[in-house]
Amino acid sequence: MSLGLQGLGADALSRWLGRAMWRLEHAFERARASDRPEDDTRLRIFFVAALFAAGFLALAIGATHAALFSDVGREDAALVGAEAARADLVDRNGELLAADLLHYGLYVDPREIWDEGETRRALLAALPELTPERLSRALRAGRRSFLMGGLTPEVRARIFDLGLPGVTFEPEARRVYPLGSTAAHLIGFVDGGGQGLAGAEAAFNDGIHDASRDNHPVPLSIDLRIQAAAEAELAKQVAKFQPRGAVALVVDVHSGEILALANWPTFNPNNPGGASDDARLNRAAASIYEMGSTFKGFTVAAGLDSGVATPSTTFDARQPFQLGYRTIHDYHATHKVLTLVEVFQHSSNIGTAKLAQAMGPQRLERYFKAFGLTQPAKVELLESARPLSPRVWDDDAMASTSFGHGMNVSPLAVARAYVGLTNGGKLIPLTIRRLPPGTKADGPQIVSPRTSETLLQIMRANVTGGSGKSANVSGLNVGGKTGTGDKYDPVARAYSHTKQVSSFAAVFPTDGPLEAKRYFVMVLMDEPHPDETGADPTGGIAAAPAVGRIVERIAPFLGVRRRMDTAPFTEVAPSPQDSGEEH
Amino acid sequence: MSLLDRRVRGFRLVDLIAAGLLVVLILGVYLAKTMAGRERSEIARAERGIAEEKARIRLLQAEVAHLEEPARLERLSQAYLGLASLPIKHDVTPEALYDAARASQAATPPSAPAPAQPQAPVPATKPQ
Repeated sequence: MSLGLQGLGADALSRWLGRAMWRLEHAFERARASDRPEDDTRLRIFFVAALFAAGFLALAIGATHAALFSDVGREDAALVGAEAARADLVDRNGELLAADLLHYGLYVDPREIWDEGETRRALLAALPELTPERLSRALRAGRRSFLMGGLTPEVRARIFDLGLPGVTFEPEARRVYPLGSTAAHLIGFVDGGGQGLAGAEAAFNDGIHDASRDNHPVPLSIDLRIQAAAEAELAKQVAKFQPRGAVALVVDVHSGEILALANWPTFNPNNPGGASDDARLNRAAASIYEMGSTFKGFTVAAGLDSGVATPSTTFDARQPFQLGYRTIHDYHATHKVLTLVEVFQHSSNIGTAKLAQAMGPQRLERYFKAFGLTQPAKVELLESARPLSPRVWDDDAMASTSFGHGMNVSPLAVARAYVGLTNGGKLIPLTIRRLPPGTKADGPQIVSPRTSETLLQIMRANVTGGSGKSANVSGLNVGGKTGTGDKYDPVARAYSHTKQVSSFAAVFPTDGPLEAKRYFVMVLMDEPHPDETGADPTGGIAAAPAVGRIVERIAPFLGVRRRMDTAPFTEVAPSPQDSGEEH
Repeated sequence: MSLLDRRVRGFRLVDLIAAGLLVVLILGVYLAKTMAGRERSEIARAERGIAEEKARIRLLQAEVAHLEEPARLERLSQAYLGLASLPIKHDVTPEALYDAARASQAATPPSAPAPAQPQAPVPATKPQ
């Protein structure tokens, strides 16, 4: 038996190979002849072949799996990853607020550049913002180095078409805020590594990353139309009164959703580093103020709920009132005996302090704590500031806090307390996350539903016949409370008579059942200056008109229809000063 | 003579068949890989195109959002069209139109001609 090896020649290797093949060929016969099947070479070959077959089968399965189901090697994998670092932020109606957009980083490798002069000229012409010094540094680096980031696809294509050797691109995701400064403080911004640093970007940082994997946007509570109205009206008021800062808020009292949060000054989150700390400051959440008379709503609610007073309970405001070591005056003294409603309408410090005295400091403290005024406002924003409240609730603290002095709280804390007092008495958390339509958030009962109803009517009475008249909008039944708090001057170690915080906290509509749609609106001006009339820029002058205009603009968006105007409680003959009122 | 022992020109037939199969297999794998490579390249090109289109769409969406920025629209509509936000007294449901017209008539003095207003303010109630 041969395989044709006889003619292989006479050299040793050929002979050895021939013998080996011959032995292999005859191994089957030898094994059969010796009756030892276990030595049958055919059997061994079968086993070896089976092992090889199993190995190849495993490789084939692995290769098929890798080819069909693995993402490794896909050319756009990096691009998709770069795009999906953070999910889009949208408003409650799906309008885009923030998005990761594909940009490109420009890299230069001087080792591959043939004509440095041409490359230099071409890049400087194509990229006006590129400085010659920066380019020279990259060209002298001796290795591939990053030159510039944030190139749009159009700019990349323009440079790519130049065909410059040694100039390459890497895809990179860049956070873009297409609306610029609109809702900047609520949306926030991210750092260069794509981590949220402020606003919703920081509050929902992990959630935004997770949502990007599912390719879902993250909806925020704000309504862009309402936000725009609040910002526009705030800007008008700022132009008129030139304050140091200003805030406007709109909140749904049943769900706690913040529908608008506007700050002035503001900044462009596309370039947060270009803005000052003051412009980046979210005054609604991170600044605390002595609110002044806006707090009287809390004292009155506490007095009503505790049963100490009713709307018709009278308080003697004819003389200044001594409580603790302070003597309390009224900004516009009426020298009258006032009902509780009139105390609210005239923003009487004397009447409010007397109400607080009737309650006692411990009870007032308990109520203020229940209203959430001694804690940071419960909201997702990490900026939410801790308030300053009295360490000891004695007569003096009670007198001061009853009309909004001696306690510094953030506008969001005031908003949360008023939301709780006007939604039927439940202290609910505020939220910047969109909730399902019709959501009624739950929380501890801080006042009875009856107190809530009464407070709504007293607030309405303050707009129809008190200090908040300039916020009235025909057919929308706005109710509210003005506030003007003198600011503490740490240099003079006394309250300033020229620097103040003017605010108006409103709710609309005040009519209808407690379950009806209702919204809280607030405008605050920090250190406003007198306008061309020279009038003292109190809450009724500097803030209330803006609230009225905001309410008028946003009511159609909120589905609040015009209705019969209400004028609860006996109308008080307004004094000329009532449009400005109190300190 | 079994198939294993049969020979053609000195070569066992089974060896020749195996060699032929091997050549066919090599050729088949080569062709399959070539075609698959072409398909892969087509798929990669299509996927790259889709990704670029997606990126372009996102860019356009951001541009639309920028152009539709409410403050910008308000500024432009005031500057070029003289538009302003609608006063709430102009907002009325179709069901309330009849009442609004009656209220408007009631508010108009008999001697003066009735102004053509789409809607009149709802009268206020007396204080409680």
